[in-house]
Formats: sequence, C-alpha cells, structure tokens
Amino acid sequence: MIEKLKSNWRLTLLAVILLVSLFVVFSPTMAPQTNVGGENATTEERLTNLQYGLDLAGGTRIRAPLIGMTAETVDIGDESTTNVAAAVAGELPDSDTTDVSVRRGTLNGPTVEVVDPDVSESEFGDALDAAGYSYGSIRDGLTQETRDEAINVIEGKVNQAGLSGASVQQVTDGTGFFMLIEVPGQDRSNVIDLIEQRGNVQIDIYHENDDGEYVTERAVLTQDDFASISNAQQSDAQTGPRVPVSIRQEDGIAEQFQSTVVETGVAQQGGATCRYEENPQNTDPCLQLVVDGEVINSFGMNSDLAASMRNGEWAQSPSFVLTTTSFEEAQDIAINLRAGALPAPLAIDQGTTSFISPTQGENFRTDSLIIGILAILTVSGVVFARYREPQVALPMILTAFSEVLILLGFAAYLEYPLDLSVIASFIAVLGTGVDDLVIIADGVMAEGDVSSRRVFSSRFKKAFWVIGVAAATTIIAMSPLAVLSLGDLRGFAIFTILGVLVGVFVTRPAYGDILRNLLTDR
Amino acid sequence: MAQLSVPTVDYTQYSNRQLVAVPLALLAVALLVIGGWYLLTGAPANLGLEFVGGSEIRIDDPGGNAAQQIETAFSAEPSSVRQIAADGTYILTFSEGAVDTPNDRNQLSVLEEQAEAAGFSIQASSSVSPSFGANTQTIALGGVLVAFLGMSVLVFVMFRSIAPSVAVIASAFSDVMLPLAMMNLLGINLSLGTVAALLMLIGYSVDSDILLNNSILRESGDFYESTSRAMRTGVTMTLTSIAAMAVMTVAAYLFGIQIMTAIGIVLVVGLLADLMNTYLLNVSLLRWYVNRGVKA
Repeated sequence: MIEKLKSNWRLTLLAVILLVSLFVVFSPTMAPQTNVGGENATTEERLTNLQYGLDLAGGTRIRAPLIGMTAETVDIGDESTTNVAAAVAGELPDSDTTDVSVRRGTLNGPTVEVVDPDVSESEFGDALDAAGYSYGSIRDGLTQETRDEAINVIEGKVNQAGLSGASVQQVTDGTGFFMLIEVPGQDRSNVIDLIEQRGNVQIDIYHENDDGEYVTERAVLTQDDFASISNAQQSDAQTGPRVPVSIRQEDGIAEQFQSTVVETGVAQQGGATCRYEENPQNTDPCLQLVVDGEVINSFGMNSDLAASMRNGEWAQSPSFVLTTTSFEEAQDIAINLRAGALPAPLAIDQGTTSFISPTQGENFRTDSLIIGILAILTVSGVVFARYREPQVALPMILTAFSEVLILLGFAAYLEYPLDLSVIASFIAVLGTGVDDLVIIADGVMAEGDVSSRRVFSSRFKKAFWVIGVAAATTIIAMSPLAVLSLGDLRGFAIFTILGVLVGVFVTRPAYGDILRNLLTDR
Repeated sequence: MAQLSVPTVDYTQYSNRQLVAVPLALLAVALLVIGGWYLLTGAPANLGLEFVGGSEIRIDDPGGNAAQQIETAFSAEPSSVRQIAADGTYILTFSEGAVDTPNDRNQLSVLEEQAEAAGFSIQASSSVSPSFGANTQTIALGGVLVAFLGMSVLVFVMFRSIAPSVAVIASAFSDVMLPLAMMNLLGINLSLGTVAALLMLIGYSVDSDILLNNSILRESGDFYESTSRAMRTGVTMTLTSIAAMAVMTVAAYLFGIQIMTAIGIVLVVGLLADLMNTYLLNVSLLRWYVNRGVKA
C-alpha cells in the first residue's frame, strides 16, 4: 500500500492538495474573519468560504488620485514645519495653512506639499521663492507619507460611517498613485458623498471690528482642538440638530478660545443672536461652522454660556455644541471630526468609479456559475468525442477540473475576492489545462503500446518539455497585467499564472501517474 | 456523440509558397485594416469606454416603450443602448462630456440622478475619466509589447536557432493582429477584457507552435510524419479551447457580462487564426528550414 502511494507520489500529492483545497473552501472552521468596520457586518450563513468581490456581491469601487504637488529637497533649515507652512501659504493667493504641509525626513529631504487644485506649478514655485526657501524640484503628486495618511483618514471615515467590509488601498499605474476604495453593498453616491469632501472642519467668528466693518476671524478652532466628539443628535424643542463636543484644555487652547469669543463680542452680556443668514450687515457676532471653506451654519450664543465664558468658568470644563441645519449634516460633521480631514482632495473626476447593485451581483454569481459549468461540459464533450475511451478522457476532465478546485482553494485561503475577471481566468485555465493534458496523452500514446515504464517516462518527459515552455510563455505574457494593478484585470492575470503553476507542478504530473497506471504493465 | 477526428493534410501537394500565401495575405489585410484605422481615427482599434472615458449605466427594463422613456429621461443621447437578453436590463453608454454638468459635478452622478428621477432602478454604473483612460491605453500597449518581447526572447532561448523561433513569433504576431482587425470590422470595442485576451492569446498560440516545432525538430520520424502527429494533438487542443471559449462568449453575451464576452470573442477569433497560422505559415517555414540546402 505504502509502496503504491510512493510510486504514485504525484497522484498522492494531488489528492492531498485537493483535500486541503476542499477543506479551505468548505470547512466552517476556515471561515474568514470580518474585516474593517465589523460593527454592522452581518455574518450570513454561507455554503463556502469564498469571498466575493464587488462584481459578484454588489458595491462601489472608486479609484481616484489625490490632488497635489510636492517640492522636494526644500531648504527649510531648522525652522518649525508649522512656520514654513504658514509662510508658504501666506505667499499663495487663496490658500490656507491646511492646503500646505511640510515634512522632514522623507526620502527626498524636507518636502513642501500644496494640495490646492487652483495653484499652478509656477505659482507654487514663486511662493517658495517669495517665502525665501530654495528647493530642488517640484513634481506632480504627493509624498508616500501623505498618501498613507490619506488612506488612514478614508478608512476612518468609512468606519465611522458604519460601512462594513470596506477596503482602502493605494495602487499605481506606473505613472502615478491612486486611492482604491471598495465599499460592498453601498450606492455610488453614498460613497462619493462620504469621501469627496476633505472634511476640514473649523470654527470662524464673524464680527464687527473696531472700525465697524464686518470681518471674519478664521480658524478660531480647528480639527485638532477638539478633545472629544459625541454622536450627532436629532433636533429637539430647544436646539436644532447638533454635535456636542469638548475642547482641549492643554496648551491653553480652551482658554484662548474663551478669550477670543469674549473679545469678539460673541459672548457679550446677555448672549448674541446671530442674523448672518438674513442680514449679514446687521447682526450680533456669530460663530460659524465651516467645512472645506464653506459656511455650514452660523449661530450665536445663549446668555448662560456667554456668562460662564465671561467669568472664565467655561474653560474649566470646555464643552460646546456645534449646531447644524440638518441631522445628516450633523452626522457628516461628527464623522469628519473623528476621522480627521483628508490631507489632500480626491480627484474623482480623474479616476474611475463603478457600482454594481447587490441583486445584479447575485445574478452575476449565478450566471458565472452557469458559464463555468457549460465550459466544463463543452470541454468534456470535445475530449470524449476525440478519445472515445473513458479511461483516458475521464481522468483528463477530472484533472482539469481539479485545477479549478485548487484555484478556488487558493482564493479562499488568500481571501481573494472573486470577480468576473477571476472567473474568466478559471475558464482560461481549464482551457490551457486540458490542452496540456492532451499533449501528455497524445505524446505518451503516440507510437504504439507503452508497455514499459522506461518508454513511458521518456515520452512523458518529452511531452512535458512542450508544456513547460508553453507555461513559461503564458506566465511571461500575463505578468505585466499581474504587476500593474491597473484596471480590473489583475485578478485575471494572477489566477491564470497561479493556475499554470498548479498545472505544471501538481496536476499534470499527476495525470502522468494516472496514465502510467492505465497503460503500463509493470 | 460525433466522432472527432483530426483531418490529415497532404502537405506534399503544396509548395511552401502556396502554403504561406493565405496566412500572409490575411495578415497583410489585417495590417492594412489596423493601419487604415489608425490613420482615420488616430487609434488602431475602436477604443472602448475604459480607454477614452465615459459613463455607463445598467438599468432594469422600465417596461412599456423603453426606448422612448430612456430618450426622455436623460439630458443627453446615449452613444449606445443595448438590451441584455437574460434579464431584460438595458446598458446605456454616454461619451464623456455628453451631459451638461453644473458645478464641476461628475457626469455619472448627474446621469444617476436623472435615471432615478425617471424611476429607473440602477443595477450597475461605471465611469472612467478621459485622462485615466489615456493612461490605461499607454499601459495596455506597454503590457502587450512587454509580453510579446518576453515571449520572443523565451522562444529564442528555447530553440537557439533563428528560423524556428521566427516561425513561432511570426505566427503569434499574426494571431494577435487578425482578431484585432476582425474586431474593427465587426465594430467591437477594445476594452481591458480584450487586452487580457490578446495577452492570453500569446500564451495559447505558442502552445501549438512549440508542439509542432518540437515534434519536427527534436523527435524521430520524417517531416510529414512528425507534422501530422503534432497536428493531431495540436488541432484537438485548439478545438477544445475554441469550444470552451465559444460557449463562454455566447453565454456571457446573453447574460450581459461584458468582460467575459470580450475575452471570449477575441480568443475564439485568435485561436481560429492560430489554426491557420500554425499549420500553414509555421509548417512551411519549418519545411523550408529542414530542407534548406536540399534542392526541391
């Protein structure tokens, strides 16, 4: 028995790998863990452990570059990065400090990045010159650090919004980098709404200056100044929809805010009533909630809060309420405050988007299963018609089919999401697999009977040379697609290559064992 | 079940010149078509949405007079409308810039709103920006070139002599060009799926060529014996693949799975071309190589 297993070790190996694959695909113990944002994740009862990609499960995929330019090897000496950012932003016509970021210790020396889409490369260069910083070169695109930060922020936003199973990663097409965001089960517009905005939340104060002119004091509070952010609340009798927050007490942030509010008159005696919306030229001072430079809401202050600000008590427990005009807005603000602002805007118009509804995904799943079965039946039909001997044809079909099973095992093990292109690669592998088995069968049986093992193995080796070269060619032809993560074809290339490798190293040698047992006497 | 027997060709009846005439003529026609396309349109093939940008929406059958409803629902005329046989859904394609987009809004977002306003239920949608598409073009072209060069180098290394290698490479080249020209004539757009299929074709096509070369150059038996032996195997292989791909193409077309339809149709045409190229072009080049120096 053991002797038999040994002499047929290739067949034994195939059997073992097949069993492992079946186990990985079907055993509940191998079921995948839920990914990011597990809160709302529903663990459905499923037959297999296969993960379905957006094509087959439904959802939205967005691929978009981040907008921005980077000046490399900027000579900023020992100056603090905040100062440099402020100096450069000051020289640009309409940019805030949030549009400029300065980093030390990147691969290309200190860098300055500008993420305002309205700034041209020459304007950026001029601003650097005017601010007195010499630089090596300006290029399109951002630093790796900024892209990593962007990935974190997008993941944070997606998680905060309670969208489960989403993935955010960076891909390249060889010329630039793209954020690839995949959110199962969500409409395209929902996802775009969530990530389109940078989500820069700040508080401005709109008030009269000493000359009686209305001015805006910008960024009195920014994203980093908030210590905790509560959940958005629906409107009730007293106030509209809102997000309760508290301000950080470290570094005197709360106290500074308190004194600014008092000085500008928002916290005047008896509080302030904001009429900015109706009559901006005749209003008490207002606090303004600003997201990405756009005023979302303007509000005054009630007399109690104003009083506690005036006597300095407020800064001891600096809680505060951001009121909005709708509950959705309040939710967005809470998400943006928690996840932080995107370091650069996403240019959805320079990328691709795709959406598949869950029902359509389900249809595609059934459809591709039908196509797969039809392909197997067709191949079987042709092979039977050609060989007419079930003992040659049947193992051939089973072997080719086992290649597909092993690939499914790989997909389940790697938790690789199955897409239409992956299914297409299964069918392509089935095709090449059968081709190579035909080469083996014909090669071995070509010249009369193969009674001795020696003759068999010499013929098998000859046939295998052809298979090896053909496999190498397919791998070379497919590798550009597998490396360039552009488009939806990476899965096709990866699984075609995997299939060819499995075929050459496992299944086709095993088919040789089967044929040998059938054909040789000893 | 019908018996599948591979026909044997009596190559002795034809001269090399006669044998190569057909594949070379077809290749010339294909190159003319592709070249002409390039001169007329600026691209060697009809570039699909993924390469030029645009938007696509798949909606449920709205019932009643669908064409009428679709026309009134959108502010722009779709560049193509196709109904899917299996589920009755409609796939509408809009070229980039076809729709007026206020405030820099994404074209597809506007289209989705118009579709929803008209009461259509959206089953799928996708958009590609022109700049992204242009990038994709470059990369796809680069990918095909790299794949082709890699294949050529590998073939040279394996055979270590010029004529057989050239035979393999020439027929692989023709295998890629013929389906490309055919796509132009049939009005099929070049998509990412077709690019994948063209790459796959390089792999498939080399299969039967190498089998033939190997059989003639490295195995015993005279030229015609070796050829008919390789042909028996090779034709079976290619027919199996053609059958599988043809089934995939038809089924995927009926289900409206575009990527599989694209991959399938290119492989079917390419494999048919491969049959011709391998057993006419490659065979005659090899016969010339084997008999070189011998006066015929």
